[in-house]
Amino acid sequence: MSNYKKPLPLITPTSKVFYDGCRSGKLLYQQCLDCGQVIFFPQSICPGCLSHNIEWKQSKGKGRLFTFTITHAAAPSEFSEDTPYVLAIVEMDEGYKMMTNIIETDFDEIKCDMEVEVVFDKVTEEITLPKFRKPK
Amino acid sequence: MMDMRGKAAIVGIGEVPTGHYPERTFADAALTVAEMAIKDANINKSEIDTVIPIGVVSNSINNGNIVCSQMIEALGLGSHAKSNFQVMSGGSSSASSLKVASALVATGLSKAVLVVHCDQMGTQLDLETAISTFSKVSVSPEYETPYGWSQLGLGGMMQQRYMHDTGATERQIAAVVESLRKWAALNPNAMMRTPRTVDEILESPMISTPVRKRMMNVLADGAAAYIVTSPERARDLTDQPAYILGMGSKCTNFTTTQQPSDLVSAWRPAAEEAYAMAGITPKDIDVAQIYDAFPVFILISLEILGICKPGTAGKFVEDGNIAPGGKLPCSTNGAMMAQGHTGAGGGIAILVEAARQVMGKAGDRQVPNIKYAVETATGGVGMDMHVGVLGTEV
Repeated sequence: MSNYKKPLPLITPTSKVFYDGCRSGKLLYQQCLDCGQVIFFPQSICPGCLSHNIEWKQSKGKGRLFTFTITHAAAPSEFSEDTPYVLAIVEMDEGYKMMTNIIETDFDEIKCDMEVEVVFDKVTEEITLPKFRKPK
Repeated sequence: MMDMRGKAAIVGIGEVPTGHYPERTFADAALTVAEMAIKDANINKSEIDTVIPIGVVSNSINNGNIVCSQMIEALGLGSHAKSNFQVMSGGSSSASSLKVASALVATGLSKAVLVVHCDQMGTQLDLETAISTFSKVSVSPEYETPYGWSQLGLGGMMQQRYMHDTGATERQIAAVVESLRKWAALNPNAMMRTPRTVDEILESPMISTPVRKRMMNVLADGAAAYIVTSPERARDLTDQPAYILGMGSKCTNFTTTQQPSDLVSAWRPAAEEAYAMAGITPKDIDVAQIYDAFPVFILISLEILGICKPGTAGKFVEDGNIAPGGKLPCSTNGAMMAQGHTGAGGGIAILVEAARQVMGKAGDRQVPNIKYAVETATGGVGMDMHVGVLGTEV
C-alpha cells in the first residue's frame, strides 16, 4: 500500500495513455489530424472541429512559467503538510498550458516567463506526475 | 435580435445582513428577502407568476426544496403562479437570472419575476471542508486535482500574472481592499465594516503569494431578492425603477488552466455588447458595481469595462478614484471582500446594490445624480464575464 495521501489523477481510457507516458518518462499531448489543433487536456473529441481523428505526440518537456503562487496556508487539507508549495501553470513550447507544481527551484528564483523543464515525480507505483523546475 | 433596451425593469429589492447567523434558518431568510422585495416594489403578490431560485451551495436539501417551489407555497403564490425554476451559474447567477427574467418579461411570458437567493456558507460549512470541496469543483480531476489547486491559489496566480504584465504593485492591490472596506463601513448589511489602511492590509499574513489574509473574502450567510417587471408596470408601481438597458456576456472556459491568457481582450466583448445595447460609452458610467472574489478581479474588470486603459487600473484605484467621494464609485456595498461571500449570492448582492443605487435607496452610500450604473459578474474559476447596464430612464 502506498502512503501517498494526496489526490491521485482520475484514470480514464484517455488519461491512462497520458500517465502511462509519464511513467516511462514521456510527456504526451495531442494534436487533431483533421484541423491541426494542439489539444491539452487530452480529449477523445477535438474541441476545435469535433473530429475523433486525434494523435498522441511527445512534448520536448520545455516551456515557460505563465503564472504561479506559493501556497503558505489555507491549502486543501490533503496538501496542508506540504506548505509552502508552488502551484503553477506552464505554457509548453508546443503551444498548450498545463497545471503543475514547481519543484527543485529556490522560491526567490521563481518568476513569470522563466524557462522551465519537466521533471517526472513517481508518487506511487502506478502514477508518475509531471512537475517542472528551473533548468539546471 | 429583439431590442432588449428598456424592455424590463427592477422594481423591488430585499436583502438581509451578510455574516454568520446560526439562528437564522434558510427558509426564514429566503422568505424575508422575498417579502422585502414585494413590499419595496409595492406590487400585489398575485402579479408574480414566476419565481427563480438561485442555486444553494451549502446544503443540497435546501437547494432541492427551493427548486421544488418552496417559495411559491411560502408566499401563497399557488393560485396565480406559472413557473418556479432554478438559474445557476455560480457567481454569475445574478447576470444569468437577470437575462432570463428580463427576456420572460419582454416577451410577455411572465408579468413579474421574483429572483431569490439564500445560502448559509458561513455557518453550514466548516472552513476546512469548504476549502477541500471547492478545491475539486471546476477543476480537471485528471490533470489539475493532483497539484493542490484552491480558490486562494487561483487568486494568487491571477494576481501574480496581472502584476507581472502591468507592473501593478502590492500597495495598489491593497488599495482595492481599502476602498471596499470604506464602502462597507457605510453598508449596514456588510460583514467586514472595520476600515483598513493599505499598510494594515499589507501587514496581514501571506496566504498564497501574492494574496495576503486581508485580500481574501470570507464565507458568509446571506440572502437577497429582486423583482423584474415591464417598464409600463414599473412606472405605475414606483417613481424610480432601475431600467435594464444593456446586457452582455462572454463565457470562455471551465478550468483555470484553460482560462484565456489575456482576459481583458477575451472578455471585453461582454462590455461592448452591453454598451452597444444601452447606447452608452464608458464615459457615461456614474457608478460601477464590480464583482470581485479577489482584489485583482476589480482591476482586471475596470480594464475590461474600458474605464481604465489596460495596465492602468492599479494607479486609478491607488489615487482614490473608486472609494467614497472618488471620481467613479465602485462596488459600493463593499463587494464580496467586505460584504461577505455568500456563494452564488455574491453577484446577486452586487446586482441588487446596482439597482439600489439607481433607485436612490442606498442611504449613507448613495451616489448622487446617477443616470447609468454598470454591474459585472463572473462564475466558476473565472469562466465568464457578464456586464449589465441599469439606468434611471429608458
